[in-house]
Amino acid sequence: MSTRFPEWIRRKWASGQNFTMTKEVIEKLQLHTVCQSAQCPNLGECWSRRTATFMVLGNTCTRSCRYCSVDGGKPEALDAEEPRHVAEAVAAMELRHAVITSVTRDDLTDGGADHIGQVIEAVHALNPETTVEILVPDFKGDRDAIARVLAAKPEVFSHNIETVERIYPIIRSKRFGYRQALDVLRIATELAPQAIVKSALMAGHGETADEVRATLLDLLEAGCSAVNIGQYLQPTKKQREVHEYVHPSQFQAYQELAYTLGFEFAVAGPFVRSSYRSEEMMDARFARDRVLAGRRTET
Amino acid sequence: MKFEVRLPAMGEDATEEATVAYWPIEEGEVIHEGDDLVELTTDKAAFSVPSPKTGTLVEKVVEEGDEVEVGDLICILDV
Repeated sequence: MSTRFPEWIRRKWASGQNFTMTKEVIEKLQLHTVCQSAQCPNLGECWSRRTATFMVLGNTCTRSCRYCSVDGGKPEALDAEEPRHVAEAVAAMELRHAVITSVTRDDLTDGGADHIGQVIEAVHALNPETTVEILVPDFKGDRDAIARVLAAKPEVFSHNIETVERIYPIIRSKRFGYRQALDVLRIATELAPQAIVKSALMAGHGETADEVRATLLDLLEAGCSAVNIGQYLQPTKKQREVHEYVHPSQFQAYQELAYTLGFEFAVAGPFVRSSYRSEEMMDARFARDRVLAGRRTET
Repeated sequence: MKFEVRLPAMGEDATEEATVAYWPIEEGEVIHEGDDLVELTTDKAAFSVPSPKTGTLVEKVVEEGDEVEVGDLICILDV
């Protein structure tokens, strides 16, 4: 017997000791994770491997995208303790690679860039061997805000293009723009050539393979060296419906295409998310070389 | 010995409710720890719940189509 999902959209309802430990750390330090806010189906697997993607700047987003289940509305005040708490969680979970994202905060003058920078600095200070991947909002394309985040020296700077150019205005908040997203990546590449600049997109919104190819070329042109492609899954019935469950063989084709076009790291699959198993990317030779080069630059 | 299987938590604000999609085994059959005990669906995906113990499935407490929440009794095993 089958469900309404194709056979490849299936996960384990995971729990167990490591899962409980991850849950306790996050709750004790009063942190938010995108794993929870986005109702991510990988949560069980990732938390059982003691990884999580922290979501800073609060739990309320000032933009509403049609695919996203993070709450929109008037955001809460910034938590001055958040940088320390994230750093302590990274230490408690013994993370080699910490992935940190945020909601969009158009209400803050700098979009929250300084706070994000403080989080990265706190994680590095308490966990000198841990690499940090920061997944940022677009900061309305503000170069100074992007520079503030990069001044904290994240090893990976990421901004998600999310989808192809034709579909972008249909599913994203009107305040986002496809070309502006590319500009964010381009500015980061210019300001921090040692950082790995990364992006991600969802499949399943009705895009064609040719459109995915065009987006991959746009990302390369903007300086991206890493890309993740995964299946869009409708978080709750309030969000946009899935147009198509893309077959795993098509994801495999996208992954091969990305390498052929020139990405140094690419992963594509139904359950791939922007941060899914990103610690594996850091084990790739190109990533190790970048991190070492970055640390030599600092000394 | 009777063992009550309850749906474990997946995360504080995350998936807390699901629908029972189907039972891959029948009452009276033996299941091994870690094997798929029951399949659930949420809005996002299908999930297989691994059996927490090796034993015989004595009773399915929830049926296909039922809504279940974290902490709900799903079935009883004889372990």
